[in-house]
Amino acid sequence: MRTTRRSFLRLASTGAAVATVRLDGPPARAQAGGPVKVGVLTIRAGIAAPVGAAGLRGTEWWVDRVNRAGGILGRTVQLVVEEESNPKDTVERYRKLVLQDKVQAVLGGISTGVTLALGPVAEDLATPWLSWDGTTQKGVEETMPHPTWAFKSVDNEVEAIVAGMLTAKYFKGIKTVAGIGNDYSYGHDCWESYKAVLKKYAPDVRFVLELFPKLGVTDFTSHIAAIQQSKADLLMCSFWSGDATIIMKQATAVGLFKTMKGVFTTAGGVHDSLKKEFTPEGLLLGYNTMYFDDPKGSALLKQFVREYKARHGEYPPYECDHAYFCAESYKAAVEKAAAQSGKWPEKAAVARALEGIEVESLSGRRSWREDHVQMCAFYQGITTHRNPYDFATISPVEVVSTKVAMKPAGTKLFDWINSWKVSRG
Amino acid sequence: MSGRLVLAAALGAIVLAPLAASTYHVLLMLPFMAYAVALLGLNLLFGYTGLVSFGHALFLGIGAYTGAVLTSVCGVRSMEVILVAAGALGALVAAPVGALCVRYVKIYFGMLTLAFGMVFYTFVLKFYRLTGGDEGMPFLRPALLGWSLERMPKTDYLVGPYYYYSLAVLVLATLAMWRVVGSPFGLCLKTVRDNPTKAETLGIGVARYRWYAFVISAVYAAVGGALLGPPTGNVDPTLAYWTQSGNIVFMTLLGGFASFFGPILGAFVFIYLQDWVMSVVPFWRLVFGAILASIVIVAPGGLAGLWERRAVEREASRA
Amino acid sequence: MIQQVVGVVMSGVFHASILFLVSAGLQVVFGVQKIFNLACGSFYALGAYVGVSAVGWYAAAGGPPALFIVPLAVAGLAAGGVGLVVERGLLRFVYDRDETFQLLLTFAVVLMMEDAIRMTWGTSPRSTSGLYLVYGGVSVLGTTVPVYNLIVIGASLAIALVIGWLLTRTAFGRIIRATADNREMAEALGVDVRRVFAGVFTLGTALGTLGGALVIPATAAMSEMGIELIVEAFAVVVIGGLGSMRGAFVGALSVGILRAIAISVYPKLEMLLIYLIVIAVLVLRPRGLFGEARA
Repeated sequence: MRTTRRSFLRLASTGAAVATVRLDGPPARAQAGGPVKVGVLTIRAGIAAPVGAAGLRGTEWWVDRVNRAGGILGRTVQLVVEEESNPKDTVERYRKLVLQDKVQAVLGGISTGVTLALGPVAEDLATPWLSWDGTTQKGVEETMPHPTWAFKSVDNEVEAIVAGMLTAKYFKGIKTVAGIGNDYSYGHDCWESYKAVLKKYAPDVRFVLELFPKLGVTDFTSHIAAIQQSKADLLMCSFWSGDATIIMKQATAVGLFKTMKGVFTTAGGVHDSLKKEFTPEGLLLGYNTMYFDDPKGSALLKQFVREYKARHGEYPPYECDHAYFCAESYKAAVEKAAAQSGKWPEKAAVARALEGIEVESLSGRRSWREDHVQMCAFYQGITTHRNPYDFATISPVEVVSTKVAMKPAGTKLFDWINSWKVSRG
Repeated sequence: MSGRLVLAAALGAIVLAPLAASTYHVLLMLPFMAYAVALLGLNLLFGYTGLVSFGHALFLGIGAYTGAVLTSVCGVRSMEVILVAAGALGALVAAPVGALCVRYVKIYFGMLTLAFGMVFYTFVLKFYRLTGGDEGMPFLRPALLGWSLERMPKTDYLVGPYYYYSLAVLVLATLAMWRVVGSPFGLCLKTVRDNPTKAETLGIGVARYRWYAFVISAVYAAVGGALLGPPTGNVDPTLAYWTQSGNIVFMTLLGGFASFFGPILGAFVFIYLQDWVMSVVPFWRLVFGAILASIVIVAPGGLAGLWERRAVEREASRA
Repeated sequence: MIQQVVGVVMSGVFHASILFLVSAGLQVVFGVQKIFNLACGSFYALGAYVGVSAVGWYAAAGGPPALFIVPLAVAGLAAGGVGLVVERGLLRFVYDRDETFQLLLTFAVVLMMEDAIRMTWGTSPRSTSGLYLVYGGVSVLGTTVPVYNLIVIGASLAIALVIGWLLTRTAFGRIIRATADNREMAEALGVDVRRVFAGVFTLGTALGTLGGALVIPATAAMSEMGIELIVEAFAVVVIGGLGSMRGAFVGALSVGILRAIAISVYPKLEMLLIYLIVIAVLVLRPRGLFGEARA
């Protein structure tokens, strides 16, 4: 009854375009030839703003490249950019992109708190959502194991797992470990996963101190004093923003790394602020999923790094490649779905085509696993000053695939780690 | 007279909006109605009692987390139970907090409320296992008046039943508040605001009345906070951060704290203006800061104040 | 054990000296103008960014690294000029209004400054490469302390002394105190309150920007660093008592050292401890340790 009356009133209302909720926007053929609208959510303010900026720059570079080459199936790509902030506002911006701007897909989503809220909304609004750096994990466990529309980033804890493996390889004989991370899920999850992995390789390692300062703190002198007192053999740090730079500087100033090894799982996100003056050689440093200076890097990566540096005066961090891959895989999925039907595909066909698709991304081949999780490789290595830059880089470069370091679909993280067969050397 | 007409027209427009406006703009009405409820309470404290709280996000947070805990931990899905529980919990927390805060006025009152708000925020963020920390907690879809509505697509649920449910709560809250401010109790509050010494001599316990106002405003804020949860589907600590408290004071001022409906107007304008400005310029905080500054300097009575001034001028020119 | 104590105390005092500068700026403004300046954190952030730029230019111009502190301090002080702009351009219009409006106006400044900083310096964290290490470190009872930290502590102490001298021993100080005590009376006695307010607000701002500039070699500038700091500065002035310089000094030391102790003894407490103390102070002794009685 109710529905009928509402539909009637809708018809009766003025000629203004009235959107019905479940409609996928105007039929695809009607706008063939016109630009294809793609939504982007990016962080503009706060501690993760540099990550957001890198993702947006990566996406814009992709758009220029694709549009120069004739667009997707002849349609140019037009971005609609909105801000990712807190979960409430971001959910509203997401709805605006889909319901108001009628985008064909949404790219972006960085913070876990936000993407946890976005996941169910994306499913409800029936539009492909390709997340740059966000998961729908609660802690380390997946909350949306079988999504239709949501495509999620690599699990948060993978770089800590990789760092745990490499710690065992490069820092043999360490007995005690101190840890510092930000006081939120990412920091805690990294620390727990790192401990579990390292325990596998070196069962008698003791974890003597854990510190979790609030995100956004800019003075760690007190924390460093506590770390020094712990007299640990190694410090594990999962900072990824300006705080990584700050702790590096303040730790070096009191000579911390003269007596302690260091593992910085994610500081490669702000790699060009890790100046040689205060970043010693011999630390384990993680660049997440793209290393700008990869000696084995493709021509595409080299071109991207060159143009990024020329345009923004910085060397690109990993978020660029998360963003590039999301955009590029969307294009590939549209083309794949269109090849079957011969016309511009419906959103549902694109989402289906995305499953398992593999494309050439900046850092190499990347794909979407069947359960909608990004598959790529992680880059970590030992810091060195032998490079033409004023900041530290890594050599040798260790490349670890998510096939090895990420829990397989449907498993629980710690069960999976405990099931490893590790040969202790 | 014209005021009542405007009110009727506004209510009519809100009732008809889901039928005529675009889905997205209808969805934006949901946070508007939730904030409007909270602001009715905030303004009992601000406009009617003369106390500006910089920590009311605390009560928004309490309301929202009450709903999240009830739906996702306790398995309680009834929105009526959630609203009552949120209000009760808001009152429970506000009773001691208010007792401490109302001993002071002006800036000291503001600072004390800010401090309590930050304690709550830090608590929610730190006690990860209990509250989910930064990831927050899911606020599952509540049942309305005993109808589970579980099968409906979420957007239909929000622009349909949940929209009218929120509207009903807002209307009830408005009527109740209208009664409160028009009652002898409301008059006492105004006396406390304008002349506390006189109020004391008249036998009105100043601190006691301030405390009443504080607790009532907290109940409203908690109910508003609970209404805020379902559209997002997730509740997180940023709801309780001090800048959020600043934002709701901003809304009150934008609409006009001296008028009963001013804060509601403020919430409406704030939300739609923010939506528009965010789409147009990346630096929307700059624009909003400038708007806030100009209101404070040029139009401290807010939009309602401007409107009343124009009405007065029109009267004058007619005479 | 001794090393432990030295480490905790030195790190706590270093943090306290920055907190002191920012809260002193807050206090001087509140003491005289009765405005609680939420934007003090934004001024601190502005000082930090201006400091990074100034040192960058200085290094590019080939200035000797050992003297970088000079352009840094000059830039920090100069950035205080923005206080004059804010006071003349915004605040002076609301002096006769309720304190709440003044507070809200400073909240508007917080919003605007955050974006203004992002528009000017972008979003990436900015830092001053290796200057922090130029002076090396000294060993204090077996614990290495960066010399730059000692310079900041010394500078902060010196500024505290200068402010104390300024307020108690000079004509300007007498005028300020008279205005703080009784504005009407001071005006009747021929004090140009307009100029005093402009001067005081600029001074308060300059303390914040100088704090930001001085801290920057040891850290990195990030756009929301001000929002974070305001909460701590707020704790300092509540503990010390609003409007009191001695209060800012003692409050900053308490917050700095308590935080350092919490981190080394029971890290989970950290800032929560500070808030609990703030509430305890507000409940038990609302005017703070050194504040004037005022209900």
